Amino acid sequence: MRLSITREKLQEGLGAVAATIPNKTTLPVLSNILLRAQGARLEMSGTDLDISVSVGVDAEVEQAGAITVPARKISDIARELESAPVHLVADGDQIELSCGKSRFKLFGLPEGEFPSFPEVDFSESWKVTAGTLQELIGHTAFAASTEESRPILNGVLWQLRSDHCTMVATNGHRLARMTFPLEEVDAPEADLIVPPKALQQVERLFEADEEVEVARSENHLAFRSATRVVYTRLIEGPYPNYEQVIPSDNDKQAVGSTGALEKAIRRMAVVASDQTHRVRLSFSEGTLGFRVQTPDLGEAEDEVSVDYQGETLEIGFNANYLLEVLRYMPDEDVRIEFRAPERAATFRPAGGEPDYLCLVMPLRLLD
Amino acid sequence: MTRRIHILPDRVANQIAAGEVVERPASVVKELVENALDAASQRIEVSLRGGGKTEIRVADDGSGMEREDALLALDRHATSKIREAEDLHRVSSFGFRGEALPSIAAVSRFELETAPAAGGVGTRIRVRSGRVGSVDDAARRPGTTVTVRALFGDLPARAKFLRSASGETRACSEAVLLLALANLPVAFRLESNGRVLLDLPSAGSLRARVADLWGEESAAELLEVDRSTGEIRVGGLIQRPEAAGRGTSRRYLFVNGRPFRSAALHRMVDEAYRTTVPGQVRPAFLLYLSVEPREVDVNVHPAKAEVRFRDRPAVEAALRSAVRVGLGGLESAAPAKPEGAGTAGVAAPARPAAASAVRERGPGGDAGAADASHRSHDRPSPSQLALFVPGGARTGEDRSAAGEEAPGAPAVRRRPLLWQLHDRYILASVRDGLLLIDQHSAHERVLFEEIMRRFEKGRGASQRLLFPVTLRLGPDEYAAVEELAGLLRQTGFEIEPFGDRTVIIHAGPQPHPGFDAEGCFRAMIDELTHGSPLVDSARNQHERIAKSLACKGAIKAGQPLTFDEMAELVDRLFATELPGHDVHGRPTILRLTLEELERRFGRT
Ligand SMILES: Nc1ncnc2c1ncn2[C@@H]1O[C@H](COP(=O)(O)OP(=O)(O)OP(=O)(O)O)[C@@H](O)[C@H]1O
Ligand SMILES: [Mg+2]
Repeated sequence: MRLSITREKLQEGLGAVAATIPNKTTLPVLSNILLRAQGARLEMSGTDLDISVSVGVDAEVEQAGAITVPARKISDIARELESAPVHLVADGDQIELSCGKSRFKLFGLPEGEFPSFPEVDFSESWKVTAGTLQELIGHTAFAASTEESRPILNGVLWQLRSDHCTMVATNGHRLARMTFPLEEVDAPEADLIVPPKALQQVERLFEADEEVEVARSENHLAFRSATRVVYTRLIEGPYPNYEQVIPSDNDKQAVGSTGALEKAIRRMAVVASDQTHRVRLSFSEGTLGFRVQTPDLGEAEDEVSVDYQGETLEIGFNANYLLEVLRYMPDEDVRIEFRAPERAATFRPAGGEPDYLCLVMPLRLLD
Repeated sequence: MTRRIHILPDRVANQIAAGEVVERPASVVKELVENALDAASQRIEVSLRGGGKTEIRVADDGSGMEREDALLALDRHATSKIREAEDLHRVSSFGFRGEALPSIAAVSRFELETAPAAGGVGTRIRVRSGRVGSVDDAARRPGTTVTVRALFGDLPARAKFLRSASGETRACSEAVLLLALANLPVAFRLESNGRVLLDLPSAGSLRARVADLWGEESAAELLEVDRSTGEIRVGGLIQRPEAAGRGTSRRYLFVNGRPFRSAALHRMVDEAYRTTVPGQVRPAFLLYLSVEPREVDVNVHPAKAEVRFRDRPAVEAALRSAVRVGLGGLESAAPAKPEGAGTAGVAAPARPAAASAVRERGPGGDAGAADASHRSHDRPSPSQLALFVPGGARTGEDRSAAGEEAPGAPAVRRRPLLWQLHDRYILASVRDGLLLIDQHSAHERVLFEEIMRRFEKGRGASQRLLFPVTLRLGPDEYAAVEELAGLLRQTGFEIEPFGDRTVIIHAGPQPHPGFDAEGCFRAMIDELTHGSPLVDSARNQHERIAKSLACKGAIKAGQPLTFDEMAELVDRLFATELPGHDVHGRPTILRLTLEELERRFGRT
């Protein structure tokens, strides 16, 4: 392998891949980045065995070839180099890097030790703009569970249909769901359960206006653009029937300013119990009252005016769940729908756009 | 006709009284040493032969007696210590009945040698079976020496009840020991057949006396207690829970300087240790109660071994609270030292008895928070969007920032330095060293107290589940759930029995964001139905459930924690009553003091 590349391109590629390199690993080659020179490109890849990322950048390749090099070291070197062409020459397990008068020799590991990427056939694929993916991921992935006893809930459900797709995540206490229309679908419908970590890579790696092709194999999912690929393992389903638990009979609704509600709850959270984070919401004509009482600490109250006409009703929630929901709400006003103190409440953009819903299960006080 | 009723000659009366006062050599030793102490001696030497059955000799350097007093001392009810009945209420000497010497002299070959400290001739009186044989001059230094030979020699019926010489020696030694613990400034020496059993110099502190008695290692296992509740003050040393259960447990109680026995108060101490040691373990203690003299009656037992408190509940409460507060201090945490590593010669220096244990609390290092009820508030407050928070910020930077302090930000500066080791232990840098905290054990302690409080106060919260969990249980488990449903509801579990051994969980507690309600419920029901050492040691159903739920619901070893989560856990741990101890009787904290580090690195 022998090539020249600008320092900027090298750094761009390494930076994109670095996030997948595991900090601790028992398999030494995983702390390396795979460099492969081919055609007019240098392709850089990293993996933690669950998620793999591959990024191609322009380079003048004199001799094709591949080698793996320690990710941390080569990234640090690239960062310190002057802005000048970089020459890379691999010889056996060594790579020589020179730039201006700087010279480095690093010991790598042969390409053959690097795990191969999953084989995914792109002949059947969905096409989505990266911007849509970013919206979907940004509004749902936060709700996935981090608790290990139900691995399915650790994933984000991505439902691909003939004309739309939906992402859903929940930890069993609160849920977030977003739907976008799709054009140009030439793949069958699918329900995919994707690790949020992989989705975060997708969110980060692709430019908003890029078109991303998505294809799957039995156990893997791949996202591909002209220069980048993300592979991830899929979580085995089935995902619980979430549609069934989204209430359709919530007969009361209140509309208020997302920002004002968030600020009020933030204030309440200061005094909420460390353990339960419980805040009590009371809806009455035109106002939404907030109250927290924490034994041994104190209490707090606040009020925000909302558009509400129904009877007076009190519901308790975990303040942190409410804060998250409001933080992600993509509208200045939020519509809250509810029915009874022990029933789920839902939160949607008051303007009806985009198609986004959050659901929060109440926190009940036992007396 | 001869009269049938007559007054017993003194000699016979004394023999009968001796039955109460003098049971065995150890009671003689006790009475004689007490007399020596009452005579303000600095040094008391006891020597035994044949377990005291052959000979007991007690020599002191106290006030001594004039000849007249010495002769009088052998009469019944001759005492220099009280004059009228009223005095009994404020008696501070060991003796007050004037019974011991005549009783002992009645059942032995008795010799009293004494010379007054003020100077003047010495006296030697020999008594044989209660009759004064001879009174001679004796040349001797000031003080008194009493020699008792052939105890019960004329009374084979009594002698028969004595144990082997070694058994009696042990009992005598215990009697001396008790009085040595009650009189620290006095030097004691005990010999048996020429062999030295105890050699105790005058001690400046209880810890020093303990070290002389049982070694520095034992002394280092004890923590100081000092707390007043109303008029009752409780001081002394109690065993660090982690050290309890190894070897013999030494349990001593004193009131106003007088040793006494009380099974009820021993139970109260054990009660205070609950959850800090495994159920069957009986920790050691040396506790000294000071009460108003009129609050305690010491004249209820012939050998004064028991006392009666006018207000026993108050004494029990004071004792319990003193022990609790002692156990709640950081000093109660287990020291970090290799198993079995001796501390010989390096035991913690004896501290002034005051509440050092209570003061050094919490990584915040705030001193003076001696009152437990105020503790939680003067610690660094957990950052608000905190932790153990479902979905709370849990970023990469968060963790790497552990321990970095923003310059000039006082709120931040008060944070302890925290580090998570292998996703299991939290290392906290504190003012006087390092704490190693077991995250699971620590969370167990936090949850246990929280759940117990829920039971008491009847409040708490319950998170509804989006997907209710359906469980099929064994028949015995189902029965247990039906029986406990009310209590489980108070902990946050909302359970609906569905018939056919099936229950639906609609809501659960949420002790931390990674909490697995289903797994926890299953494990808890299994434990509550089939028992375990943990729940079997519980006192009642509330405690059974709290222990089980705390254990099953606490964060597990292996759970990575963010800095904020660690900070919150540590804060909440130090807001508990017994931060150093989990609910199994294991330590939550190992403590490595700078002092110990310096010693280990050879810097002292
Ligand atoms: N070692 C001693 N040094 C000085 N005086 C002593 C000594 N032993 C006894 N006495 C004197 O002898 C008296 C009688 O002692 P004795 O032990 O019989 O009675 P007590 O100590 O007054 O009461 P109790 O029967 O409760 O022990 C004491 O009150 C004390 O004055
Ligand atoms: Mg006496």
